[in-house]
Amino acid sequence: MRKLAGIVIAGIFFISMMMLFYHLPASHDLSSNEYYYRNPINGSVANESIPEHYIKYTKNETGAVNAVTAIVVEYRGFDTLGEVTVLFTAATGVSFLLSLAVRGRKREEANLILKEGSKLVLPFILLTGAYIFIHGHLTPGGGFPGGSVVASGFLLMMLAYPKFFMKDRISWFESAAGTAFVVIGLLGLVLATSFLQNFIPVGTPGQLVSAGIIPLIYIAIGFKVGSELSAIVNKMKEVQG
Amino acid sequence: MIWAMYFAVAVLLTAGLYGVITKKNLMKVFISLSIMETGVNLLLITIGYIPGGTAPIENGNFAKYVDPVPQALVLTAIVIGVSVTALALSLLIMYHSKAGTLEYKEGMKW
Amino acid sequence: MHPVLLIAIPLLVAFIIPLFKKYGPSIALGALALNTGISIALFSVVYSTGTVHEIIAGFAPPIGIFLAVDSLSALLAMIINLFALINFMAIGKASEYKFSMLYLLAVAGSTGIVITGDIFNMFVFFEITAVASYALVASRKDKKSMEGAIKYMILGSLGSIFILIGIALIYSQLKSLNIYDIASRISTMDAKIKWASVAMLLTGIGVEAEIFPLNGWVPDAYQGASGGVASLLSFGPSKAAIYAIARIMLVIFPLQKVYYLVLTIGVITLLIGELAALKQENVKRMLAYSSIGQMGLITIAIAMGMNEKNAILAIFFLMVSHASSKASLFLLSDSSGMGSAATKYTGIVSVLGIVGMPPFAGFWGKWYLLMAAINGNMLWVIVLIFFSGIVEAAYFARYLHRYYGNEESFSRLTKYSMAVLATMSLIFGLLPLIYEMGLKTLFGMGGV
Repeated sequence: MRKLAGIVIAGIFFISMMMLFYHLPASHDLSSNEYYYRNPINGSVANESIPEHYIKYTKNETGAVNAVTAIVVEYRGFDTLGEVTVLFTAATGVSFLLSLAVRGRKREEANLILKEGSKLVLPFILLTGAYIFIHGHLTPGGGFPGGSVVASGFLLMMLAYPKFFMKDRISWFESAAGTAFVVIGLLGLVLATSFLQNFIPVGTPGQLVSAGIIPLIYIAIGFKVGSELSAIVNKMKEVQG
Repeated sequence: MIWAMYFAVAVLLTAGLYGVITKKNLMKVFISLSIMETGVNLLLITIGYIPGGTAPIENGNFAKYVDPVPQALVLTAIVIGVSVTALALSLLIMYHSKAGTLEYKEGMKW
Repeated sequence: MHPVLLIAIPLLVAFIIPLFKKYGPSIALGALALNTGISIALFSVVYSTGTVHEIIAGFAPPIGIFLAVDSLSALLAMIINLFALINFMAIGKASEYKFSMLYLLAVAGSTGIVITGDIFNMFVFFEITAVASYALVASRKDKKSMEGAIKYMILGSLGSIFILIGIALIYSQLKSLNIYDIASRISTMDAKIKWASVAMLLTGIGVEAEIFPLNGWVPDAYQGASGGVASLLSFGPSKAAIYAIARIMLVIFPLQKVYYLVLTIGVITLLIGELAALKQENVKRMLAYSSIGQMGLITIAIAMGMNEKNAILAIFFLMVSHASSKASLFLLSDSSGMGSAATKYTGIVSVLGIVGMPPFAGFWGKWYLLMAAINGNMLWVIVLIFFSGIVEAAYFARYLHRYYGNEESFSRLTKYSMAVLATMSLIFGLLPLIYEMGLKTLFGMGGV
C-alpha cells in the first residue's frame, strides 16, 4: 500500500519536475536586459544584472579575486553568519541530546601502521587545511573546506587512537571563533556604517594580505568549522547506540 | 549536457522522495532526505551554469565566467545539510537507545 | 536604530555562553531583556517614521542583503522578543546552559525571518530556527519527545528542500534574491515557473507555519515537548513562518490565482484543526490541533489581505491573540490543574482570549476579519468564523471543566509569568479602543 502510494506520488512528482525543467532556459546571457535589477530603496533601475555586477566589480569593491568568496563573505556575509550559526546550533544540539547517552563503547586498538602513519600526516593535514582557509580570497576553497580538512585530521587521530579524546577546551575555539565573527561584524557597524562592512584597506588584489576583512572572517570560519565538526564527531564517537 | 543535468536533478529528487514515503527505517528516511538535498544542490549549480564558462576567479584574461551566486548559495546549503544530518543522527542514536528500534512501524503513527 | 542588533546580540551571547556555563541562563535572560528593549525602541521608530531599512555589509540592495522592517514585522519582532523574555523567566532558571543557548538561537532565528528583506537570508534563518527547535522539542529526552522531534525533523527537512527549490526557480528567472526586487519584476517571469515556485515556497514554509499539506508533525511535537518549549514554538517559529507566508504572498505574488490557493489551504487547515481538536483527550494534542485551526484562520486572513486592508489588521490581532493565549495555555499544560488564583486567572483569560470575547485581541482579529468578509461580500467566511468559534468554545469549555480547581505544582515565578503572558492579549486588545483612527494607516504590508 505504502509502496503503491510512493510510486504514484514519486511518478507524478518526476513528471511534473521534468515538465518544469523543460521551461527553464538552457543558457543565460547574464548581461541581457531582462535581468537588470531595481534598487528596492530608491527604485532606480540599473543597467546590469546582479551576477554581472559581482563579476565586474568584485576586485574593485572587495579586493578579492575570487568572486564566490567575495559573495560568501562580503556581499552576502550575513547569510554566512547564519550558516555558521546553523552549524553551531547543530553542534550544541548534538552535545545537548547526547549528554544522557550511554557511553563506553569498546574499540580495538589500531595497528602500528595506522598509529604511526597518522601521527606523521596529521601536521600536514592541519597545514593543508590552514592553507586552504587562509587563501580563500585567492583560490577556490575557503573557510568551510579548510575547516573540514582540519576536522578530518582529528577524525584520523580518533580512528587511530581509540582513547584520543578532545577535552572541553575545544568549545573554547568554537566560542572564540564565533565571537570573532560577530565582533568583526559589529566593528563594521561602529567603524564603517553597516554590519559586516569592510573597515580595513583592501590592499592590492591578488596579494595574500588583501581584501580587507575577508581573510580574517575566513580564518574565524575555518577555526569554527574545524572545531565544530571535530566536536560533533568527538561526541558521537563513544556513544553506545 | 544541461538537459542531462536537469534529468539527474529530477531523478535524485524523485528517488529521495520515494524513499521518504516508503522506507520504514528512520535511518533510510534521513538518507533519502540527504539524496534530495544533493538533488537541490545540483539544481542550483545547473541554474548557474553557462556553457563554456569558467570558475569566477579573476586571472587577467577575460574569459566567460559562470554565475557565481548559485555557487555561494550551494556552499550555504551544503553546510546546512551537514548540520541537519548531524543532529538527525544524534536524535536517532537517542531514539534507538530509548525504543530499541529504528523502525517506526511500531510506536510512531502518522 | 539598527535592527541588525536584534540578531547580532543573541548570536554573540549564544557564542559566549559556553565560556560561562554556570551563568548561562542569567546571561541569556539579560540578552533577551536587552533585545526586548531594542525591539520596543525599533517599533517606536517604525511607528513614527515608517519602514526602516538597514543595509548589511555596505552594499546597496539588491547587491547586498538588507533588512526591511515594516510596521507588521516590527510589531511581530517585539512580540517574539517580549514573549520569549516572559516565557524564559518561567522556565529558564532551572535549565541547562545548552538549553538557554538553543532557546536564544531559536528566538534570534524567528526574529531574523521576520525582519529580513532577502529570500535566501530568510531561508537561512528558517534553518537556524528549525534546527534549534528540533533539539528543543527533544529536550525532555524521553521516547515521546524523540518521536515528536524526529517527525518534525523529517517534515522540516522536506520543507526546507522545497523552499530551496522555490528559491532556485525564482533565481533562474530573475537573477535576484531580494524580495522587493523580485516583487517589482515578477511579471516578467514565465507563468508556469512562477506557479511552481509559489507552490514550492508555500509547501516549504507551510511546514513551519503548521498549515495544511505537511503539518503532520504538529500534534506529536507539541505532545512530546515540555510546556515551555511548546509555548516557545507557538509564539516564535510558527508566528515567524506565518508572517513569512504573509510577506511572500502579499509582497511578491499578489495575484488572483494565488489568492484562491491560499484561501483554500486556509479553509482546509481551519476545518481539520478545529474538528480534530474536538476529539482529543490529551491536553497538549488538543492545544496543538487548536493551533493548527488558528493558523488556518490566520491564513484565510492573509489571503483576504491581498484585497482588503481590514484583513491585514486581522492578521496582526489573530497572531497576538494566538501567541499570548496559546503560550500561556501550553505553559499551564505541564501540570494537570488550575488550583491557585494565578493559574485560574491564566486559564480563564487565555480561553476567553482565544475564543474571541471582547475586548481581547482575539475579538478584534475576528472582528476585522468579519469586516473584510462583509466588504468582500463573502458570506461563507462569516459562517466559517462563527462555526470555528462555536467549536472552539465547545472544546475549551470541556477543558476548563476538566481541570479547573485541581491541584497543581508550579513555582511562583512560573505562575506569575504565565499570568502576564495571558494578560498580553488583553493589553493588545485595548489598543483598538485607544488608537481607533491610527491603526488602519499603521498596519500596511511592506511598502518600499
